Amino acid sequence: MTLVRCRYVSILVVTLAIVGSVSLGGAVRPPKFDYQITTLDNGLTVILSEDHSTPIVNFQLWYHVGSKNEPPGRTGFAHLFEHLMFKGSHNVAPEQHLTMVARVGGDGNAFTTEDATVFFETVPSQYLPLILWLEADRMATLRIDQTALDSEREVVKEERRWRYENEPFGLLSEIVYDNAFTTHPYKHTPIGSMADLEAASIEDVQAFFDTYYVPENATLTLVGDFETANALQMIEHYFGRVPRAARPVPRDIPQEPPPGGERRLTVEADNWPLPTVVVAHPITYDGHPDAYPLHILSKILSDGQSSRIYRRLVYEQQVAVSAFGQGNIIEDPHLFYAVAIVQPGRAVDETASALIAELDRMRSELPGDDELQRAKNQFARDYVIGRMTNDQKASHLAHAAVIHDDVTTADGEFDIFMNVTKDDVQRVAQTYFRDDNRLVLTIMPRGRSGGGSLLRDSR
Amino acid sequence: MKRFLRVVLVGVVGVWSVSIPVAAQRVDWPTEDPPPPLLERDVAFPEYEIRTLDNGLQVVFVGHHEMPAVTVRLLVRAGASADPSDMPGVAALTSQLLDQGTTSRSAQEIAETIDSIGGGLIVGAGTDLSFINILVMKDSFDLALEMLSDVARRPAFAQVEIDRQRQQVLSGMQVSYDDPAYIAGIVFNRLIYGFHPYGMPHNGTPASAREIERDDLVTFHATHFMPNNAVLAVVGDVSADEAFQGVERVLGDWEHGQLPRLSRIDPPQPTRRLVIIDKPGAVQTVFRVGHLTLPRVHDDYLTFDLAIKILGGEGGNRIGGALRTERSLTYSASAELVGRQFGGDFTAMTDTRSDATAEVLRLIVDEITRLQRDRVSRRELGGAQDYLAGNFPITIETPNAIAAQVLEAILYGLDLGDLETYRERINAVTADDVQQAARSHLKPEMLSIVLVGDASTFVDDLAGVGFDRYDVVPLSEFDLTTPDFRRPAAARP
Repeated sequence: MTLVRCRYVSILVVTLAIVGSVSLGGAVRPPKFDYQITTLDNGLTVILSEDHSTPIVNFQLWYHVGSKNEPPGRTGFAHLFEHLMFKGSHNVAPEQHLTMVARVGGDGNAFTTEDATVFFETVPSQYLPLILWLEADRMATLRIDQTALDSEREVVKEERRWRYENEPFGLLSEIVYDNAFTTHPYKHTPIGSMADLEAASIEDVQAFFDTYYVPENATLTLVGDFETANALQMIEHYFGRVPRAARPVPRDIPQEPPPGGERRLTVEADNWPLPTVVVAHPITYDGHPDAYPLHILSKILSDGQSSRIYRRLVYEQQVAVSAFGQGNIIEDPHLFYAVAIVQPGRAVDETASALIAELDRMRSELPGDDELQRAKNQFARDYVIGRMTNDQKASHLAHAAVIHDDVTTADGEFDIFMNVTKDDVQRVAQTYFRDDNRLVLTIMPRGRSGGGSLLRDSR
Repeated sequence: MKRFLRVVLVGVVGVWSVSIPVAAQRVDWPTEDPPPPLLERDVAFPEYEIRTLDNGLQVVFVGHHEMPAVTVRLLVRAGASADPSDMPGVAALTSQLLDQGTTSRSAQEIAETIDSIGGGLIVGAGTDLSFINILVMKDSFDLALEMLSDVARRPAFAQVEIDRQRQQVLSGMQVSYDDPAYIAGIVFNRLIYGFHPYGMPHNGTPASAREIERDDLVTFHATHFMPNNAVLAVVGDVSADEAFQGVERVLGDWEHGQLPRLSRIDPPQPTRRLVIIDKPGAVQTVFRVGHLTLPRVHDDYLTFDLAIKILGGEGGNRIGGALRTERSLTYSASAELVGRQFGGDFTAMTDTRSDATAEVLRLIVDEITRLQRDRVSRRELGGAQDYLAGNFPITIETPNAIAAQVLEAILYGLDLGDLETYRERINAVTADDVQQAARSHLKPEMLSIVLVGDASTFVDDLAGVGFDRYDVVPLSEFDLTTPDFRRPAAARP
């Protein structure tokens, strides 16, 4: 085997020194990442971060394609395609990818979100060449055949039944998004519908592969026990030979128009043990300056037993069995939504009013200094414990590079969060938690929506 | 832009002897074998330290200084299996009340304190232990220790908080009883362990959750929460001295007590039984198949665990191959060996669409029979061994994962030296050993089988695949506490 000469010409190297932990605004500051980022001639982005504390390496390959890239009538396709990536390539027999990874003691899998499809492996570090070889092989030469499509379609249908349909409350996000969005593909979740899975054709598979599974749409991240120069040489060898795409990757996602006023509606769902109230507002995208105060706001409302929603609805008023709120801050504007599962014996309206009242308070009053500091400390905690493993570190680096198109945000966001003020929090609450963009959705167990609930669709 | 490619032409057939569809090929690509590994680095089980305080509390320390966080975990050697026999759920509710107020702090003060420092506090009970976990940034280490000591030793068990948690438990059960996976799990455990405490769910039943009184919680706490019945782990960014001195400071005066003596009935011998919990309208059937087997501490445990990994674990998984890879009948199929203190079980589990239920049941039972009957191939055994031995460095990546292995060894009384020799012991197992373990410990004729799903869609198919005796219990009449899982007729609405 001959290694291809390493090309340093196109390499943009960003090296950041590790700094010790320092206190900032009361929160403990975790160390920064030490990494290099480069782009191969074929457009593949490569991020490398050495960590020799354990002789293992985590590999992640993010393809910047998710369920929001699916055309109408093909919901669930990006995820179905992810499954097909395990169906063999030129040098790898169907289903052998994970067997070969397991055979060296490694763990691997893949997942699909609205915005990205991620393939990952963690292996003892001496097997890095094997992983690069396996992943490059399927990027370049995926086997596409009808039998694989048909069999994997059935597996994905079982996955939908298992994860969502047969699970109590399993369809929560599907119901919320379907009712909240009209136009943007965020209207559907990555699992898609049974009918659309059924409709997927072999031509769809080929077109999706040719369009999205190309080096310039991919970001390769390695964190762990390797030497950067050596790893880069191997990456050049295995991935450098994958050709550039024939045409640019399309980014034409239909955008969501603003809602035309408040909506209150009631729907029924299967496998729904208890009445549930959802209050949703459209918010902004990941990386927008308002996204940071929105994240802090979510924590004030709903992180820990002293947070407002838990304290009020679950502990004090006992109108909810469980209640939480979260900003779904992703690549395109999505939702903030709060959910309360109604305590048996309490009225749905009472729970809905209590939930709306907590969101209203965010815009009518400044949060307390103690609440703001608490939220920042909780953020810092998440930040620290979310960067313990190579896998977690690689996820943060790749997310910054792919979703923010700026790898420096993997570290830079910490200070932005620490500088959020009470005024910022109130301002974003006033910007996004408006009466005229509110959706109040009551989800009732099927056959039990009569009486005692909110008004029917009153748009 | 086109890359220059070095094309190695070996032939038109891939190394795996499968023909390559031309449609997918968008590039000339070399036909080649996987590359060889690089040089392997030595790896040993990381350092840890164990000391025992004068009052009998064992303390484990695992240092890790990359991230400024510390976890303290207290494990008390009493969980749901120490519940009074007629009152399942006492251990769980006792642990749930620990952070809901102490003699000096209200529930709200505890929550405020932990949340304001960006900490995390989790309490709960497992089968054989109860736990308190507190995570903090290193600058709050002393507070974490002090809080741990307070909630472990001085819970108030205020009636108002008991009632609040009880309501949460009951509402939670209302959701759980609609969850086919939960129902399958509790019925399976009841079948395997009978009326041994392992046969009852940790959080009890709706009836027991209503009946538990404050005295039950106070008694459980007083009986089991003592330093000589507990292990404490300090994991993360503090020094060994800070850890041990801190623990001594807050828990050194915790009074040593008399260890409880518990008498437990034995679980029943395995018997063949098929129970169907009928949930009309369910789109899938949930499967649990297995029987009573080895406790965690047993000479054959490691070997039998390898056998079960071949049946349904990483590096093997015959049932995954049969159900998913070959037939697309499920998303996930697996088997595991659960070794506990006083017994254990092996469980095969999957979910499939309702109309495939009978076919899947036959396939799973056939695989269990085959494993018991036939010697495994060297290649299959090698696959499981390679995974488990090779995976070792990944299991020691984080300090908490390291501590978990040390704690498991301490709690079950395993030899701590075994942590160092895990790979050697795995690799020493032969196909003969696996066959002997499978023959001794697998009983394909004595399987307990639980199916939760829409019975009308599959019961008529069961006789055709060899299962002509079964009980069907409508979910609406389900009662975990009766021998036949049916609510007594008088109690039905």
